[in-house]
Amino acid sequence: MSLDVGTRKAPRAALAAFVVLIFAYLLLPTFFVVPMSFSNQPYLSFPPPGWSLRWYEAMWNNSDWTRATLSSVLVGIPTAILSVVLGTLAALATLRGGLRWAATASALIIAPMMLPHIILAIGLYPLLLKLGLLRSYVGVVIGHTVIAMPLVFITVSAALRNYPEQLELAAMTCGADRWRTFRHVTLPMIRVGMFSGAILAFASSFDELMLSLFLTGSTTRTLPRLIWEQLNFYLTPAIAAVATLLLAFSLVMLAIVAVLGRDSQRPGVARA
Amino acid sequence: MTRGAHLIVSGLAKSYGSVVALAPTDLEVAPGEFFALIGPSGSGKTTLLGAIVGFIAPSAGSVRLDGAEIVAVPPYKRNIGMVFQNYTLFPHMSVAENIAFPLRMRNLPRSEIEARVARMLDMVRLPGFGARMPAQLSGGQQQRVALARAASYDPPLLLMDEPLGALDKNLREEMQYEIKQFHHAIGATILYVTHDQDEAASMSDRIAIVNQARVAQIGSARALYERPRNAFVASFLGEANLFGVARATRLDAETMRVETQNGFAFITAAADGADPTAAPLVACIRPEAIRIGDAQEANALRGRIIDVVYTAGTIHYRVEIAPGHVVGIRLPAMRQARDLAVGAEIRIGWNAADMILIPRD
Repeated sequence: MSLDVGTRKAPRAALAAFVVLIFAYLLLPTFFVVPMSFSNQPYLSFPPPGWSLRWYEAMWNNSDWTRATLSSVLVGIPTAILSVVLGTLAALATLRGGLRWAATASALIIAPMMLPHIILAIGLYPLLLKLGLLRSYVGVVIGHTVIAMPLVFITVSAALRNYPEQLELAAMTCGADRWRTFRHVTLPMIRVGMFSGAILAFASSFDELMLSLFLTGSTTRTLPRLIWEQLNFYLTPAIAAVATLLLAFSLVMLAIVAVLGRDSQRPGVARA
Repeated sequence: MTRGAHLIVSGLAKSYGSVVALAPTDLEVAPGEFFALIGPSGSGKTTLLGAIVGFIAPSAGSVRLDGAEIVAVPPYKRNIGMVFQNYTLFPHMSVAENIAFPLRMRNLPRSEIEARVARMLDMVRLPGFGARMPAQLSGGQQQRVALARAASYDPPLLLMDEPLGALDKNLREEMQYEIKQFHHAIGATILYVTHDQDEAASMSDRIAIVNQARVAQIGSARALYERPRNAFVASFLGEANLFGVARATRLDAETMRVETQNGFAFITAAADGADPTAAPLVACIRPEAIRIGDAQEANALRGRIIDVVYTAGTIHYRVEIAPGHVVGIRLPAMRQARDLAVGAEIRIGWNAADMILIPRD
């Protein structure tokens, strides 16, 4: 039985157009910022009346931007590492721990992703104030890890579900204790999931605004917070330039995740 | 060649809350024996295997290997080999790395690991396959690698959990032979779980039939077939025509007269203490013990053929001997001179000695 494509040309074209429209809706608004960043005028406009690189230069020469970028990295990397450790342990516990309440635990772990960040921010503010961690890197990292850990939990859980638990049992009959089983069998299977999760965790921290508004200070403010502040005072295309670089950076990370995902699905990786 | 371990399981039991996965079970497997566990799925055979290898902590009982108690020993220290149904080769390791894995875990010197891997590959007839990845192998090849991995460290006990279950029929028969050869070569004690009675019968020295979380009977294939302990064993191994017994009276030293619940009367082999009022009894006659024709058997009946199936030299008849009551008959096709077809009215009969009385439960 085969589908006769010839007689279905018209509906197929309509479907293709619809899909293109959806993609445009999803992605096009994001890319509007790109031409705006190359404007030669001192205000944000679309389309820009003329072209220049002056706003990239302005951004480069403003130490606020570079310091905020550094802050974002200094928050993002520990957030990613902490999320990978906690998220991986959580995934192992719920999928391999034989816990009776594993389903409940999974729901609780994923919950911070669904709950409004502002509620988390309001809750963390007095707590971190009391601990003396407000406006410190540690405080933001704690906050960001709450929302980034579920991402790692999800990617590592998916990797764990992708191969049968029997592989680990087989390793044990071969004489590998729990640690060596993890090191030689589990880890190679979930490594890609952990790495994808780390990148997603870093990216979610890197563009997080709500918690950063509440928890960072003038020396620890992150890139999204600086963009937010600048938008309130100076509406220059320098913001568009920052946003364009942020976009390029995010796309690179997205591409890495996509490539990793494709590689992990090549033939030879576990089937049940 | 390893000396096979002497396995003694006593009182081994497992329950999850009120659900009994394994009733207290005793089992003794002699060194070097090929011992099969068969039974319907969910009967408890995998639980028994899991408790022996150490994946399942039993609720009670003991497992001893050559006298040493291992119930409290973690699976990675039990030194038991295990072959799974789904091969479970490590997909990120080559064939050679898979076979070398248990040897690496034992910190053997590299030169010895290489020598052993090469020897195991020869034994499972896959020389030169060391560099391949598991995904590049067929199902049968993968299972041979799994066999090599499980045996590479000379475990005195090798457990196999439906190792041929995922293979097609022809390959399965070929692999049965290979596993037997492998067993002779390594000398380990083998505990082999299967749901295929022919596989169990053709491969093993002894068989344990497991049903409803307990061992129903242990014996050679022939003993189980000819002297089943109850109706479940009789109908699980091969085919059995069973008649519920209403009354049984002894005729002489060898025979009894039995009246069945559906109104038949048969002369059967004598059984001690056969009293249907004490415990339900069934009379059992195997399909190949029934003859067709006007012979002078103790039990003679008339019937009508309602189905004829020919398989590889054997004819299977289904004969209705009373409305709603059908017996199966299995005869060598070459002896069936007359062409008996569906609808034919025939006489059938069997010897008193071939019909046995056994407990229903």
